[in-house]
Amino acid sequence: MRLGAGALFGGGALLGLLAVGALAVGTAGAGFGAGGALALLRFPRVLAAIAAGAALGIGGATQQGLFRNPLADPGLTGVFGGALLGMAVLLGGAPALAWSQAWCLPAAAFAGALGVSGLLVLLGRDGPPARLLLTGLGLNAFAAAGTLLIANLAPESRELLLNGSFGDWLGMASPELIARPVLLCAAAGGLLLALARPLDLLALGEAAAQTAGCDLRRLRRRAILLTALAAAAATCLVGQMAFVGLLAPHLARALVGPRHGLVLPLSAILGAALLLTADTLGRAALPGTPVSAAAVMALIGAPLFIWIARRPHA
Amino acid sequence: MPETVLQLGRLAYEQAGRRLLDGVSLTLRSGEAVALVGANGAGKTTLLRAVAGLLPATMGTLVATGLDPRTAPPAASAQRRLYLEQHPSCAWDQTVAELGALAGRPAAWTDWANRLALTALADRPLARLSGGERQAAHLARLFASLAEPYGSLLLLDEPTAALDQGRRETVRRAVRAWAQAGAAVLVATHDAAWARTFPRIVALEEGRLIADGPPTAALTGELVRAVWGEAGS
Repeated sequence: MRLGAGALFGGGALLGLLAVGALAVGTAGAGFGAGGALALLRFPRVLAAIAAGAALGIGGATQQGLFRNPLADPGLTGVFGGALLGMAVLLGGAPALAWSQAWCLPAAAFAGALGVSGLLVLLGRDGPPARLLLTGLGLNAFAAAGTLLIANLAPESRELLLNGSFGDWLGMASPELIARPVLLCAAAGGLLLALARPLDLLALGEAAAQTAGCDLRRLRRRAILLTALAAAAATCLVGQMAFVGLLAPHLARALVGPRHGLVLPLSAILGAALLLTADTLGRAALPGTPVSAAAVMALIGAPLFIWIARRPHA
Repeated sequence: MPETVLQLGRLAYEQAGRRLLDGVSLTLRSGEAVALVGANGAGKTTLLRAVAGLLPATMGTLVATGLDPRTAPPAASAQRRLYLEQHPSCAWDQTVAELGALAGRPAAWTDWANRLALTALADRPLARLSGGERQAAHLARLFASLAEPYGSLLLLDEPTAALDQGRRETVRRAVRAWAQAGAAVLVATHDAAWARTFPRIVALEEGRLIADGPPTAALTGELVRAVWGEAGS
């Protein structure tokens, strides 16, 4: 049975509860602290996880809709890897410039994400679902190798880049660091919601969509730009993160069916809930031994990914 | 006087060095229903795709509902033109009702779903329908999306190929009704009996238009054997 718009309210309520739980849990134990002091300290991290998860969820739903491919995920197809590589190039080549303005690293991440998105469209768009995924995996491996190479050549940025590769940046969250990426996540997500109707038409195939009035070139351009923006902003907050963009749209479609008017916002809510849960579990599961959100997400996501890949798709 | 809805002048299209359309000239006016016939590979689907604006590299003159669909914005071209693919598909696990919602006209969808015997299947995913039921669902969505038939152009590629007898008759009646309401309808079909009921038949062979007229004049014995073999005689 499919739920309607009520799923959005239910998902929102769940996210609210998870956020309260995340504010109450830390590596040292549970509690909000005197006068909520600990919760205030944790707030930037929780906000960053919510914003990044939402951007990942809606970005994944958009990429799956655009490519008509249930295996598409900006984390697996290299868009996040590209964003991190963009940041690595700037950090390695011009570290002074990278930290001189607050927008420099987000801009570098956007350039990298856009570059990989463009290559993905050129090399993997047509053909069976596996081609897109394999092309993306190749691009992801290439971007990861580039990032590691730069990390080795630039010792002052090495730890930062390695942590980013492991999706372990949420621990650095501070109001100053997260303000712009959170706003960019919100902007990209809001603009992606407007693509619901053309993505619905595209589900019928390119010919049917175009003859029903969908401007495919415009749709592709907007979807790729905004997905890259969402990926870049999320990368600035968490580093590289796979599976959220894959799983959130699948869960959303299972709950509300394939209409993008519901799938896109619900993917954002579920993406935020997934990443927040992964981060909270990573902080709380082993007291004193924090585990990165990306590692927890991979533990949850990898078996589900295999299950999704084995399902027959329409 | 009926208005010209479709005008093709020496339309040509090449792919990988092979000429798939070769100087096709054709005019359709409002109120005309035309059967497009030809053997497999004659160019019927290519012609419909070209008219629908899906082959921008087509050469020659092409004006459909007053626009050149190769250059006009897709939304403008789609306002008075419907195109049914030979093998319509869906990427996700839509139900019949969710597919119908894409028509954007709920009352018209309910009507067409009823006429094509889809009402009881409304909550069933398309993947769990038979091929004929799926084709009927796509047809109902398409027909429901047409607000004003007069002056519109309907391009239907094998619309009844997978349908049972009842649904096939519904589609045949619909095609006649659209034409009577002032639409121009171009239907590619391999159904010899149905083709003969159209007032005008256009035949293609290797991308060239080889016959255009009423069935009695257009369907020569040689053409019938070429298109349908001995079974069509």
